Amino acid sequence: MDEPGELAVVEHIPGARVAAATPAALARGVEPGQNVAGALAVAPSLQLRERDPALEAATLAEFAAWATQFTPCVSIDPPDALVLETSGSLRLFGGVTGLVRRIRSGLVPLGLDAAIAAAPTPLAARWLARTHPGRQIRAAAEWWRKLDDLPVELLGDGAAVSRATLDLLHGIGARRIGDVARLPRDGLARRQASGVLDTLARARGERPDPRLWFLPPERFEARLVLPASMLHTEPLLFAAGRLFSGLSAWLAARHAALDRCCLHLEHEDRPDTVLEIVTGAPGRDDGRMLMLAREHLAALQLPAPVEALRLLADNPVVTPGRTQDLFGDPDSARDAAALLLDRLRARLGREAVRTVHPVSEHRPERAWRLADPGRPAPRNTPPAAGPRPLWLMSEPRALESIRSLTLLRGPERIESGWWDGADMRRDYYIARTPDAALWWVFEQLDPPGGWYVHGFFG
Amino acid sequence: MSALAQTALAALPPGLVWQADRLAQSTEAGIATGFAALDAQLPGGGWPRNALIELLSDSPGIGEIGLLLPVLHALPADRWIVWAAPPHLPYAPALAAAGVPLERLLLLQPDGHAETLWAVRQALASGGSSAVLAWLARADTAALRRLQLAAESSATPLFLFRPASAARQPSPAVLRLRLAARDGELAVDILKRRGPGLAVPLRLSLPQRPGLRRAPALNDALVRPDPVRPAAAGIHARRG
Repeated sequence: MDEPGELAVVEHIPGARVAAATPAALARGVEPGQNVAGALAVAPSLQLRERDPALEAATLAEFAAWATQFTPCVSIDPPDALVLETSGSLRLFGGVTGLVRRIRSGLVPLGLDAAIAAAPTPLAARWLARTHPGRQIRAAAEWWRKLDDLPVELLGDGAAVSRATLDLLHGIGARRIGDVARLPRDGLARRQASGVLDTLARARGERPDPRLWFLPPERFEARLVLPASMLHTEPLLFAAGRLFSGLSAWLAARHAALDRCCLHLEHEDRPDTVLEIVTGAPGRDDGRMLMLAREHLAALQLPAPVEALRLLADNPVVTPGRTQDLFGDPDSARDAAALLLDRLRARLGREAVRTVHPVSEHRPERAWRLADPGRPAPRNTPPAAGPRPLWLMSEPRALESIRSLTLLRGPERIESGWWDGADMRRDYYIARTPDAALWWVFEQLDPPGGWYVHGFFG
Repeated sequence: MSALAQTALAALPPGLVWQADRLAQSTEAGIATGFAALDAQLPGGGWPRNALIELLSDSPGIGEIGLLLPVLHALPADRWIVWAAPPHLPYAPALAAAGVPLERLLLLQPDGHAETLWAVRQALASGGSSAVLAWLARADTAALRRLQLAAESSATPLFLFRPASAARQPSPAVLRLRLAARDGELAVDILKRRGPGLAVPLRLSLPQRPGLRRAPALNDALVRPDPVRPAAAGIHARRG
C-alpha cells in the first residue's frame, strides 16, 4: 500500500491527544501523548484519524487467527497484544529466533508490524515487548532477575495494578520492578497493594497465569477499507492479497482447505460486486486464489470505484496433512491440471470450458452432449450403426448440387424421433470431394429433397 | 568437403556437430506418431515433445485428426488434452469409438482471437496438459514465437492447425507439415524439420478411415468392429 505519509491516530482522554503516529510524523516531532494542537504546530501537514477501538480489536482478532498457524495456543491480551505459547512448536520452527523471523516475514504481506519478545511467562514477555522489543529471556535458574531492571510502571500494563497503587510505589521511591520485589510483603498487603504481589508472582512464574486460548472463528470474514477508492486491478489485487494471506492462515490453523470463497468489492451507493472464486480442488494456497481473483477481475468491468474489500468463506473441508515427498510430488501433475481448469474457467467462463460425451441416440445431432471436464464419459454407449465423422457441423449446410461429390458408401438410413416432434428421415452417405476430403452428407427424405453436409471425416 | 574435414568430423562425438545433410539427432526421443513411415522422417523418431508443430491444411475432412489419433491414445492420463477453438464440433461418438479419452479432453471455445491465444499459452505454461491442439486463423510471427517458447519451456507439444496459405509465412515452429488427401491416403509434406527438407510427400494410410481403396493396416488399438466396405461410386440415383 502507499506510504501513508504523516498520519496520526487521535484519541480523546479527555482532550484530543495523539495515540500513535507514522514514522514520517514521528520524524517531524509528533509524539504519542502530545495534544493535537501541539502536534499540528510541529507538523502542519499532519493528517488525523480518529482512534477506532472496534477496528483495533478486529485487527487483533484477525492477527490472532493468523498466528494460530504457529501454535494452537494463542491468546488475545487486550488491548494490544497477543500471547503465543510456543514451547510445543519451537522445534518445528527452528527455535525462538527462527520463529520470530517467520512471524516477522509473515506479517509483511499483512501490512502489520509487531514488537516481539520471548520470555517464560506471558506477563514477562509482554513487558519485554513493550520496553525491549526483540529481546529473549530463556528459562534458566533465576531468569526472573532479568525483570528487575524494568520500570515499575509496567506493573499496570496488562495486569490489575491501579494507577493509585503505582503512584504509591512511586512515592516510596520504587522505580524499578526489582525495588518493588524487595519491599516487605506484609507492608504491601496492608496498603491494599496485594495486586502488586500477585502480578509479580505471575510475571515470575511463581503463580499460574492461565489464559483463555483464542478459537479461530467458524466462518472467515475479513474486511479491508482501502485508503482511497480504486478502479484499477493491480492495487485492488495488492489489497486482496492481504485478505487471502489471512484466509490461508485461518485454513492452515484449522488444517482445512476451501474450494470456494467470495470476494466482495464494496462501492459507494451501489450493491457490492461479488467475485465467487471457485477452485477445482480444495486448497489453501493464497497465491492460487489471488491468481484466480486476478482472472476474474481481468474479465470484469467495474461499475464504480471500490471503497473496501470483504472476503467471506465458510464450510472449510478438513484435509489431512501431507508430508513432503522425497522423490517429487506425485500429485503435482494432477494439481497442475486442476489449476489449469480453474484458471481457464475463471477467465473464459464455465460455458467455454467443456468436454463432449456420447449419448445413446440415433439422431446424430443428439448423439452427443457437452459435459463438465473430468467427468468420466459413459462407457456403455452402443457403437453407431455406421462410421461417424470426427467433426460435426453445428447446423447441416445445404448443398446446391452433389455433382462434384463421389458417394463412397451408403446409404445409412436414420429414421427416428417421431415421438418428440423432432423426427427425421435421412439417408447418410460418405462422400469424397474433388480434393479428396471425406464428407458426411445426407439426403433429406421427409420432407423429400435436398442434400446437406453434416460432418467431416477429419 | 575435404577428406581431412570428413575424418575430423567423424572423430567428433556424435551430436556435437550437426551436419546439414542429416536429420538432427534429437537428444530427447519424440512421441511415436503411430506411423512408422512418418517416425522415420522425424528427428527423435516422433512428434517433438516440447515444440510448436504446425499442421497446414485448407479443407476439413482430409484426415487431419486421424493423423493425431494414435498419439492422443498414448498421452499420459493425468493431464488434459486441450482442443482450443476447433472450427467444428469434435463429435463425441466418433472420438469415443476411436478410443480418445473424453474425460481428459478439454474443449475450449474462447471468445475471440486474443482470448484463444491467452488460453493456449495458459494450457502450455501450466504444465497441466499433455498436448494442446489449437486452431488459429491468423497468427503473427511474434505470437507464434511466444507459443513456441511456451511449448518449449513447459515440455508440452502444441499442434497448431493453420490454413495452407500460412506456408508462405516464416514461422518459428520446429516442425511444419502440409496435409492433403490423395487417393484415400493422407499426403504429408514436411516443409520444415530439423534436417533437410523432404522432396516427396509421405503417404500415410490412416486406419479407421472410411472409403479406403485397400484394406488398411489396422492399428490394434484402433480396430473397429465395422469393416469398411467401399460402395461403388454413382449409386446415388435419387429416389422420390
